[in-house]
This record gives sequence, structure tokens and C-alpha cells, in this order.
Amino acid sequence: MTLYILKRLAIGIVTIWFIATATFIAMHLVPGNPLANEKATTEVIRANLERRYGLDKPVTEQYIIYMGNMLRGDFGIAFSEENRSVNDIIREHFPVSATLGVLALLFATLGGVLWGALTAIYRNRWPDYVIMFFVILGISVPSFVFAALSQWLILNLNQVTGSSILPVAGWGNFRYMLVPALVLGMSTMAYLTRMMRSSMLEVSNTDYIRTARAKGLSTTRIFIFHQLRNAILPVITVLGPAIAIITTGGFVVESVFAIPGLGRYFVQAVAQLDYTVIMGTTVFFGAFLVLMVILVDILYSFIDPRIRLQAEQ
Amino acid sequence: MNKAFAPALADFAPAPARQKMDTISRPSLSYWQDAWQRLKINKRALVSLYLVLGLLIFTLLGPILWNYDPALQDLDSISQAPSFSTTALFVDDPGIWEGVLLQESSTLPPVTGQSAVLGATRLNIEGTATTQYVRLSWEPVEGGAYYLVYRNDHQPESAEDLGLPLGQTLTARELSFEDRLQLQPQTYYYTIIASGGLREASDFATEAVELERAITVSQALERNLPATPGTRVELSAHPFGTDYLGRDLLARTMMGAQVSLFIGIAAPFIFVLLGVIYGGVSGYFGGKIDLLMMRFAEFVIALPFLLFMILFRIGFGIGPGESGIFPMLVALVLLSWPNVARIVRGQVLQLREEAFVQAARLLGANPAYLIFRHMIPNTMGLILVTLTFAIPMAIFTEAFLSFIGMGVAPPTPSWGSMSNEGIRSMLSTPHELLFPAFFISVTVLAFNLLGDGLRDALDSRMRSRE
Amino acid sequence: MTSVNQYALEVNNLAVEFTTYGGTVKAVRDVSFKLRKGTTLAIVGESGCGKSVTVQSLMGLIPMPPGKITSGSALLDGEEILGLKTERLNQYRGKRLGMIFQDAMSALNPTMTIGNQIAETLIVHRAMDKKTAWVEVLELLALTQISEPARRARQYPFEFSGGMLQRVMIAMSLACKPDVLIADEPTTALDVTIQAQILNLLRNLQEKQGLSIILITHDLGVVARMAHDVAVMYAGQIVETGSVDDIFYRSSHPYTVGLKEAMPSNKTVEQELRVIAGSPPDLFAPPEGCGFYARCMYAMKVCEKNSPPIFGNHHGARCWLHHANAPAHILQQSLKDPTN
Ligand SMILES: Nc1ncnc2c1ncn2[C@@H]1O[C@H](COP(=O)(O)OP(=O)(O)OP(=O)(O)O)[C@@H](O)[C@H]1O
Ligand code: SF4
Ligand SMILES: [Mg+2]
Repeated sequence: MTLYILKRLAIGIVTIWFIATATFIAMHLVPGNPLANEKATTEVIRANLERRYGLDKPVTEQYIIYMGNMLRGDFGIAFSEENRSVNDIIREHFPVSATLGVLALLFATLGGVLWGALTAIYRNRWPDYVIMFFVILGISVPSFVFAALSQWLILNLNQVTGSSILPVAGWGNFRYMLVPALVLGMSTMAYLTRMMRSSMLEVSNTDYIRTARAKGLSTTRIFIFHQLRNAILPVITVLGPAIAIITTGGFVVESVFAIPGLGRYFVQAVAQLDYTVIMGTTVFFGAFLVLMVILVDILYSFIDPRIRLQAEQ
Repeated sequence: MNKAFAPALADFAPAPARQKMDTISRPSLSYWQDAWQRLKINKRALVSLYLVLGLLIFTLLGPILWNYDPALQDLDSISQAPSFSTTALFVDDPGIWEGVLLQESSTLPPVTGQSAVLGATRLNIEGTATTQYVRLSWEPVEGGAYYLVYRNDHQPESAEDLGLPLGQTLTARELSFEDRLQLQPQTYYYTIIASGGLREASDFATEAVELERAITVSQALERNLPATPGTRVELSAHPFGTDYLGRDLLARTMMGAQVSLFIGIAAPFIFVLLGVIYGGVSGYFGGKIDLLMMRFAEFVIALPFLLFMILFRIGFGIGPGESGIFPMLVALVLLSWPNVARIVRGQVLQLREEAFVQAARLLGANPAYLIFRHMIPNTMGLILVTLTFAIPMAIFTEAFLSFIGMGVAPPTPSWGSMSNEGIRSMLSTPHELLFPAFFISVTVLAFNLLGDGLRDALDSRMRSRE
Repeated sequence: MTSVNQYALEVNNLAVEFTTYGGTVKAVRDVSFKLRKGTTLAIVGESGCGKSVTVQSLMGLIPMPPGKITSGSALLDGEEILGLKTERLNQYRGKRLGMIFQDAMSALNPTMTIGNQIAETLIVHRAMDKKTAWVEVLELLALTQISEPARRARQYPFEFSGGMLQRVMIAMSLACKPDVLIADEPTTALDVTIQAQILNLLRNLQEKQGLSIILITHDLGVVARMAHDVAVMYAGQIVETGSVDDIFYRSSHPYTVGLKEAMPSNKTVEQELRVIAGSPPDLFAPPEGCGFYARCMYAMKVCEKNSPPIFGNHHGARCWLHHANAPAHILQQSLKDPTN
């Protein structure tokens, strides 16, 4: 088991290294070295940049300095703001994104499993049709439309009731998180629901469910102990990609709802060509996603005995 | 046994020779014919197929039928709601309006301050009210120190209902007001309230004014329209309305469709082709080559997709506000082929063991022949399904990237960039967001349902996957 | 007879249909048989003739829809069990009626330990707590000759071999000491030595516990070895029933004769293996007359349009050749077959 985890981690580290290198190359491919260009607003920043990234040195040396910094977990300094390190930015903005993301993921998985199970139970009856209608909506409508629509709804709701039940944008207590998290988790929930549904139906046709019925177990018992557990397994395998979708989806949702998360900051940095922030956050997001996928794989191997055994051998 | 049946002796004579029972009675259909039959039964898939065809017609034929320059700006009709035909009145250039002033000789009504009850004023419209200007004048009010002008979309019920004033006069002598603020061809309710300085009249006069769309002579000249003031002219219709620069949204949606569908269809075609070749080779040779090739594919899959899309764009040196259609295409292709390769490889591995392939191999067929003659055609169904599902994915990616300003940038329209522009005025003029968003949704929906239908029709074994 | 029932299970006029896109499949048509207490009844027949559907409808395992039991009754020791509601049926199945399946690997839940899967039955039907149930589980595993039961019980199905899994299935189905065990091709997926072990195990258990067994198989060798009585099925109907000797030495239905001839173990090397020409009829539209008409060497005019009744009592055959008016020489010829 530990060997399996180590192997996964080793592959993960290689991937992260590749991401960091690709980011470096992308930045150096930009015509006219962006790190040295006049966009660095003040002399102080320019001096800082030169010191930090070794801009006066040859590219290979710059790469070594850059990788060394990354290894130490130093993601660089901002381009457009004096004395602001990317680590500071991440420290300030990532918790917001993480909170939103965790809520969205929770909402998406719980919702997906619940709705998926319901559609399978009520197969080809109206609850199935209603839920699947919304699933199709969730899959085909882009998240920014949901975001805009929900803002419009909140505005109208507040207007009708004459009080501000939910805030339209911004960040603060749970009331601020609720709607953005729902919007962010929407498409993932739709996918998971669909997956859970087909997984449930597949399981319900298996031989072992027939055996369970032949054993004279009650329908409820079969559902809980045999069907649900086996049907959830495939859903868990896609949690890795789901986390990636929710993380990048945060770029849109944070922008629309004016949430001061890292995703919004990233989008702004790209718009302002703050190359050092782009570099730092890209590597950070990349490393985060790779680690999350590994984490999900390890989690899965604990849940599915077949994988666990294979891993041990 | 159950029914009383007494067979006669003659019935026990030997039966005549019977024809073979296992002759197939149904006409035999080829794989594709059979798939088409099954697709036709699937109503959802059929509807989505028509939707896809409709979208293609909209994209390719639309611009011919709706010949309107998508880049033409018309600052006089910005953010217009969808409308069919409109006429406009030619008017002279407005010039400067003197306004109505109380005669010097006549005495100002005394300012009585807080005590006096300020009466209602009578409201006149000077000239024709058009979208160029609305000129209001009114009777002086006793005790008025100045006048407040309000404009509402509905009949105000009470003073609280008025909202913020549109403007105010500086003195009690000015008895007129000219409104030229973003006038739309609709009915406005103008209200004048005399203010005594500290208190405002509780009585007020409201006049409903219906505005006619008008363009001035000089504007007409700009657009090469023959202009005689006082005549009316037919203006172009905007079935989808206009955007914040007065550009026709229908034309832009069509043009955006070309961009979005180009990326959404071209990229999948290329990366599916790449994936098929890669997966075919990997699966066919198997062994070490396969292991190595698949390791690499898995590695590419592990890369965070959207981040790399953005990196590619930056690497290409495309700044914000520039359209990166080509880099987006390249990035999509480079990052998306491995999934296809994996699917094709799995299928080829299976096929490799099948008898007809083994036989061909024993007969000395060369690998390229085997791959392209036997394996790829037998994988075609799966490839088609993969392609159909790849299209909505690519369209979504385009929309997502353009929406956050990382893809197609204005002024080039794509559904994503149009949504990006539209969402800013979502609350006042929702149609600017809803039209492109609707097209994204319908396209994604149609391809997804078509993919489902194809998958079910081509191979019922595939259904259990997902 | 005394008040005690002679039959562990008595099935009368069972008919099952499936509604599909292509039409209605009449999978089982008018099937009746009796299982004597403490004996084994083998059901044999070609693939797709309705053996599994027959026994699964007794267990309430037919998916409905598309399946539908259109008629019939099934008496388990005199009590009707056909068409019961799930809750009522659960008082019989698993408890007094056990079942094992062909592919034990797929018939066991892959994510639940073997021990838990067996214990579950005990907990549900015999109201045991988990601890007592596990003691019993280990005994059951030992009874079915699984070594190291304590360790094995904690493992998952994929850690077992096919033969071991079939033993687990047997242990599971016997947990509540059922009166009747239905075994649907329990050994088809296993190699010959393992097959022999499993069959021996079943026979021992039958002797020890007085079990009545319905054994479904394609393999006449297995029938010869295990069965007391045999029912031969063809195209959804039982075409011949009788004791094992009746079937093997006095077959009175052309299909049974053909079936025996297709059995390799019955042949010396020189004799060619004769297969029955043609294939079974389409069950979407079963023939009006005898189901075997199209393939039968002895077919007569009457067979085409008229379904034959069962002639004979203890040894019955659904064939017009046994009608009093049928030409006796053909009957003789059919019975004179070398294997008879
Ligand atoms: N769920 C179902 N839907 C439609 N038809 C079915 C279904 N289950 C069984 N059948 C039909 O019923 C007929 C009998 O099937 P059954 O499984 O009982 O055959 P069998 O005798 O057990 O064959 P085998 O020896 O291969 O197990 C088959 O022709 C099959 O097509
Ligand atoms: S009834 Fe006729 S067709 Fe059927 S088995 Fe007997 S002889 Fe053959
Ligand atoms: Mg069967």
C-alpha cells in the first residue's frame, strides 16, 4: 500500500515538474521577454524582479533559479504590485477559493448521489423525468448563465420581499457562499447524477443483486448494503476530474460574483499580463490539482477492496 | 391435453419435408443501415440530429439570408430589445433650444417658503417628441424657487414613486427642460414638481409622452439615406436586438456560430484523428511500444486542461484583447487526443485477437493494411461516438475561455465572447447574454443527445459503459 | 397418502412471458413437474429452452417488467409461493428455498466479504446477532470444505477461485437449512475435477440434511450421476419426464433420443457424434403444433398444427407418437435407437 502511494506521488511530482517547466517555457516564449519589459511599473519592482528571477543571467540559469524557488515553495513576486509575493496572494485568496470549492464539491457529490439514486429508483416515472430534465439543463447550460440567472433571481427575490435575503455578490458569511457554491457545483452535479443513475441501473441488473434477492433480503437492505455501495464506486473515480472542473470553474463564478478568490485574481492577472503572478498561480493550481487526483486515487483504493489488494501486491 | 382433440388416423401419416427453420426471415442489414434504423427509432436522437442540421444551416446559410454587417455599430440604437421592423422619422439636427423663460416684465410669483401649498403645473410638449429630444415646458407655479423634472417608465402613483429626478432648473424663471438622455422609442411619464426651496409640492403634473424613433439629417447622411425632414424611413430590423455598441445581434450570433462551431468541430476532428492514429498504432503493436505510448498519453491526461489552454495562449504571445483562435485550436488538439487514443487502443487490442484479424495477419498482411483496412473500420462506430461527444466539450471550452477573456476576444464575435460582453448588462438588457448563451446550450445539448443516441444505436454493448 | 406432503415442490402449468421490443417471448409454456422429498430432479435441455426462467420465476427473480408469470402455481410443501408479494416471498426464499447460480464470481457482491455475505442471511432470517452469525458462518464454510474458514471469511470474492466460490455459494444457500435447493448449472463454469468435488459435496449434503434438489444442467453425465428424476425441456415446454432410468434407457421422445446421441460420453471413437439438425423455434412465435416438429425425424401431419399432450403418467412424453392411432412401427423405430 505504501509502495503504491509512493509510486503515485513520484509520478505526481514528475507531472508537477513538467507543469512548472512548461509554464517557464511559455513565459519565455512570449515575444519580448515579459519579465524584463517596461510593464514593471516601478523601479523598485524592476529591481526586485531582476534579483528574484535572475533576469540578467542566461536562460538556463534563470530556469535553475526558478526551479529552486519553486522547490522551496516560493512562487515568486507580483509584477504590478510592489512588495507583494505570490505566496502572499495565494495565502490571502486561496482559502476563499478552497472554501467555495469544497462547498461546491460537497453539494455536487451529495446531490449527484442522491438524485442519481432517486432517478434509478423511480426509473421511467415522473421523478426520473423531472430530475433528468434538470440534469440535461445542467450539462448543456454554461455556468456563467447560471451565475447571471441566479443573480437576477436574487435581485428580484430581494425586491419582492423588500429585504436582502441573499447578497447578490461579494464574500462573507455562509449567506454569501450559498448561491455561488450551488452555481459552481451545478454542472458537476448534473454529470454525477447521470453517472450515478447509469451506475445504479447497471448494478441493479447484476448477478449479485439477483443473489441478494434470492437470499430473501428486503428491498431496503439490498438497496443500502449491496446496490448503493457498488454504484457509488465509479462516481468516486471521477472525483479527481470533478475537483479540476470545480477549481477552474471557480474562475468564472468568482468573477461573476465578485468573490475575492484566487481564481478571480488569476483571471485579473492574465488580463493585466502580470506574468509572474500567472506563473506562480499556474504552477500552484497545477500542483494542487495533481495532488488532489492522487488523493482521490488513494481514497478510492481504500474503498474498493479489489484495487486495495492489487495495490498491495 | 386440454382441448378435446381427436386426431383421425390420416393425421398420422408422415409429414412432408419441412423447410429449414433457420433461414433468416428478416432482411439482413449492414452495420450502418442497422445503426441508422435504430437511431431513427430514438426520438431524442433524431430531434437532436435535426437540431444539429438546423444549427449548421443557421451558421452557413444564415449570413447569406441575413445580410447584415455584424461589425456595423449604430450608437443610436444600442442595447435594443429584439424587434422586427422599425420606422424612423427624419428630423432636422436638433440645434440649441432656447427654452421657455418667464418674461422679464412679469413678476415672479412670490416665494412663500414652507408655508405655501404649491399647486400643480400644466405640462406641454414642444414640437414632436422623438428619440432625439423631448422638450417640455410648463406654467409657472406660485412659490416655486426651481423645478424638478422626473422621468419614469410607468405612471407614478405618488411622490415616493418618482425616484430620483432627471434634472432640475436653476431658477424659477426657467419653465422648460430638454431631455436627450438615452431616449428609447417608448412611452415615458414626465413629472414636474415645483420646489419652494425647502419643501416640494405634494401636487404634481404628469404627462405621458410617446416617443417616436428619429434620426437626424446628419446621421442619415452618414448612413447614405436620402433625407427629407418630416418623412419616415424603414430602418433595419434586429430580430435578436442589438448589443451595447448597437451591432445587430442576429448577425453577430451567426458570425459567432461560425467561430464557435469552427473551433468546436475542427478541433475535435483533428484530435480524434490524431488519437485514432496514436491509439491504433499503440494497440496494434502492443508490448513495450504500447506501454511507452500509453504512459505518455496518461501523462498528458494528467495535465490540468484549462490551465494549459491558458499557458498555450500566453506562450503564443497573445495578449488580452486579442483573439487566439489558432492557438486555442492547437492547444485543444494537443491536450485532448489522449482520451481518444485510449479508447481506440482498447478497441484495437480487442480486435487484434479476433479471428479475421488473426487470419489476415497469418496471410502476411502488413501492419498498415491491417490497421487501416480492418481495425479502423471496425472501430468507426466508437470513433464517431467519441467525436460527437468531443464537440460539445470543445464548444464549452471555447465559451469558457472566451468568457474569462482568454479565448476569442472582441470585436471578433464568438458565442463565448458575446456572452462575456452580454453579462455586463445582464440585468438591464438580458437579451445580449441570453441569445449567445441559448445557442451554446442548444448546441451542446444537441450534440450530447446525438452522441447518446449514436452510442445506443451503434453498439448496445457500449451503453453500459458511460 | 398421509397428511405429510410427498412432494417438496410441485409446479403446475407454469407459463412465463417477456415483453420486448421485438414482441412477446413465450419463454416458458405450460410447465409442470414434481420434486420428491430428499431427491434430485434434473432439468436438462438446450441453451435458451427456458430452464433458468422456470426456476427463477419460482424464486421471484424474473425482472418484471419485462417478465410476467401468466399462469401456474408452485407449491412449496403444499404452500403456494408463486406471485407472492416481495415481503411474503422473503419468508421463503433464502430460508426454505435456496438457490445457487452458474457464475459464482459474478453472483457474489464484489465489495462485501464472503463472511458478511453469508452472515447476512442468518441475521435476516434467523434473527442472529452478528457474533453468533459469524460462528455459524465458519461452521458452514467448514461444512462445504473450505480450509481456513476464519481467514477466508474475511476475504473478498475476487480472492477466491471459481470452485471455492461455488462452495461459498452453497454454504450461503444452505445457511438457513432450506428444504429445497435450486442449482442452476452449478458446475458448468468449472473444470472436471472441481466439478466432481462440487457434485460430491451436493450429494453428501443431500444425504446429511435430507435436501431436495433441482439441478439444472446441459450435461447428461451430471444427470446420470446426480438425478433421481429428470425433466427434459425443449422450447419452453417439458417434453419428457421420468426417472433417470426412464430417460436414459426408455426415452420416449425423439428430442430426448437426439439429446442423448449428441452426448460425447455415450459414443465409442468410431461412432460419429450426431447432433440434432436445425435450431430451436423462435419463441416470439412458438409453433402451433409440436415445438420439435421442424427438426423431428418422425414428424407426422398431426404434429404441425396440434400441440401434443403429455402421454403417460410417471414417465410422460409430449409426443403424438404415443397416441393410440399413431403407427406403431414408427414408435418402435424411434425407441429402437442404438442408445436406448
Ligand atoms: N429478461 C428477459 N427478457 C427477454 N427475454 C428473456 C429474458 N430472460 C430470458 N429471456 C428469454 O427466455 C428464454 C429462455 O431463457 P433461459 O435463460 O431460461 O434459458 P436457459 O434454458 O436457462 O438457457 P442456458 O442453458 O443458456 O442458461 C430465452 O430465449 C431468452 O431469450
Ligand atoms: S409430436 Fe411429432 S414432431 Fe413432435 S416430437 Fe413427436 S413425432 Fe416429433
Ligand atoms: Mg440458464
